[in-house]
Amino acid sequence: MATAPRRQTVPAGDPDAEHRRHVVSALVIDRPGTLNRVSGLLRARSFNIESLTVGTTHEPGRSRMTIVVRGDEGHLRQVLAQLERLIEVLEVGDLHGTPHLEIELALVELDPPADRGAEADLRATLASAGGELLPTTDGTWRARLTAAPETIDRALEALGAQGLRRLVRAGAVAMTTTTTTDPTTSENGASRA
Amino acid sequence: MTALRLPDTDAAAAPQRTVAPRIGARAVCEALVREGVTTVFGYPGGTLLPIYDVLREFPLRHILVRHEQGGAHAADGFSRATGGVGVAMATSGPGAINLVTGLATAMMDSVPMVAITANVPRALLGKDAFQETDIIGIALPITKFATVVMNPDEVPLAVAEAFEIARSGRPGPVLLDFPKDVLQEETTAPHPEPYELRLPGLLRPTRGDVPEAEELAELIAKAERPLILAGHGIQIANATGLLRQVAEKAEIPVAHTLLGIGNMDETHRLSAGYAGMHGWMHVNKAIQQSDLLIGIGCRYDDRITGKTSTFAPNATIVHVDVDRSEIGKNVRTDLGIVADAGDLLAALLPRLPQSEPRAEWLAQIAEWRVVSEARSWHGSGAWRQGRLSADYVVDRIGEATNHAATLVSDVGQNQMWAARYFGFRKPFHHLSSGGLGTMGYAVPAAMGAALGAPERETWAVVGDGGFQMTMQELATLVQDQIPVRIAVLNNHRLGMIRQWQEIIYDENYHSAELFGPDLVRLCEAYGIPAWRATKPDEVDGVIAEARKAPGPALIDFHLDEAQNVYPMMLPGKGLSDMVEGASE
Repeated sequence: MATAPRRQTVPAGDPDAEHRRHVVSALVIDRPGTLNRVSGLLRARSFNIESLTVGTTHEPGRSRMTIVVRGDEGHLRQVLAQLERLIEVLEVGDLHGTPHLEIELALVELDPPADRGAEADLRATLASAGGELLPTTDGTWRARLTAAPETIDRALEALGAQGLRRLVRAGAVAMTTTTTTDPTTSENGASRA
Repeated sequence: MTALRLPDTDAAAAPQRTVAPRIGARAVCEALVREGVTTVFGYPGGTLLPIYDVLREFPLRHILVRHEQGGAHAADGFSRATGGVGVAMATSGPGAINLVTGLATAMMDSVPMVAITANVPRALLGKDAFQETDIIGIALPITKFATVVMNPDEVPLAVAEAFEIARSGRPGPVLLDFPKDVLQEETTAPHPEPYELRLPGLLRPTRGDVPEAEELAELIAKAERPLILAGHGIQIANATGLLRQVAEKAEIPVAHTLLGIGNMDETHRLSAGYAGMHGWMHVNKAIQQSDLLIGIGCRYDDRITGKTSTFAPNATIVHVDVDRSEIGKNVRTDLGIVADAGDLLAALLPRLPQSEPRAEWLAQIAEWRVVSEARSWHGSGAWRQGRLSADYVVDRIGEATNHAATLVSDVGQNQMWAARYFGFRKPFHHLSSGGLGTMGYAVPAAMGAALGAPERETWAVVGDGGFQMTMQELATLVQDQIPVRIAVLNNHRLGMIRQWQEIIYDENYHSAELFGPDLVRLCEAYGIPAWRATKPDEVDGVIAEARKAPGPALIDFHLDEAQNVYPMMLPGKGLSDMVEGASE
């Protein structure tokens, strides 16, 4: 694993700093307590978790967490450093400014469209967010959306007026799309054993 | 040629070889012995009994504490006095929960320690069994690592890893929870070799040269009023000698944080003194006037900085710490370097040009020092009028022990008096709960310190409030004849509470008066020699008597009046805004 510069400069904290959405990607050890430890640290630092997903990776015993939080840059930077020092965390980074894929899955339940026109509109909305109607036997309309979270946001806004009954979102999963600078690589003057 | 394959994931699991079968409890004890543990502070209980059943077979001295909190603080004191890893043991449920104050204390002050708890058998976990508690859930935020060991085959590896985690990088407490049947079942798992540990997530500082020291050396060469703020990390890194050499070569005065006390002999010409909320005025002035502030192994915590926006306004701020997450956490940082304090100082030393004496800067600090010591020396100054004051007591203990004793302070005014007036000369001699501020720390921690460093005299300096929080350990001191001398600075009140109420809450005293037992008669009941002193001229005599006692001893110093610790930085204020208090 690359050893990043251990020299740093940190300006004074700005209490009015903008609270931006951050996508944090962490490679963690898959064992009981890891999720608890990571989410507990975010809670202790007053971060509200917008979404958190965790799943296995191609490496046995390793899981990838994608955590979406809102907060200012300085605060988040410090929390990432605190996450990094957890024994259960192998790599962690903010994906802001790094090319990455971000996809979310949502399941929706809808009122059946009233007529042909409404159905065409509904299908168009679903299509805009990688949607697909799921087969049902009870006449209920259900669909899945698979797209970037903001695309799903837009589709849901439209669906609100198109008979949206229920919604379940999975939370974003993200993956870097560059191999040269991997932001999930540890950026500090320390190496892992 | 076959490449050496090191296990690179935890999934690689335990070594393949086997040893003769023994139960998990024996494997735990063997592992402790392998880690060099000699002393364990514990309290038995139903689920922990498998360990007590085999404990006698191992060269482990068990100290039966009277409350698990005492055991945790004793393990902490043992660690701090020796630089090793103290061990505390507790049973499931209430026993384990009683450890938490000690774990949090150790966590805040980066003290390596291993806590071993037992839990209900695996089949009962999560079923609200008798004395069951989710101690891992409780311990997670107050430990460096906490885990439950669910398989007897994992015992040797888990204990070895716990010690490695506790002492590596920035040290901290680790808790291992063993379900009872894991301690009772047999395993053939061997103890791992160091390279067999599975710790891919453990941050280890990059060791060796620190090229960034070059930039720091340049800053030092350009600075006119440099100051080092030396923290606990320097002692953890065993680098106090290097600190002195750097300070001498570059002619830089050194200020200490509370836990940095002992980094430098206080009589050294470059030792400025203790900084912060109740630090010396001249040291705080030096911080505010410095043009280069070099924090090494410290946290720039709020008791040092006060209002951060007014902290060290004229300085380029440098922060060296082994923990990256500390850098920039509290103050703006112009140059942050992630490194072990010892490595940084070793890298810095050859890169520094031999400095000319910084006559003007040192003379300025010396001038402030005269004023500062004249004003705040001896707090109320009451001893000069024949009335007993706390600063005098601490000063006389320092003198009597030739400043070579381990001094363990509690929390509150006594802590500040000890820090200011004992006169520390060496590292690992000043123990105090700096970060968490745990009242009740002193007596049990002194117990651990006395056992860890028996070659030194050990004193606990404690207020009557903190003493009453953990005084049950008097029985432990007697049972094991642990030679701790306890100086109770008894003002029959919660002194720091009273001080805040006087200054900040408009003299609205509530719960500041504190009833306590007759401490001399209490000690009589325990069989501990004890003395009472009420006048300054009695102080030297009772200290001399207490020093002669072969085991524990106690002196009840009845302080004459309500004394405050000055100077004081009020909440929300900065270092330039200290309250001086009444001078004589």
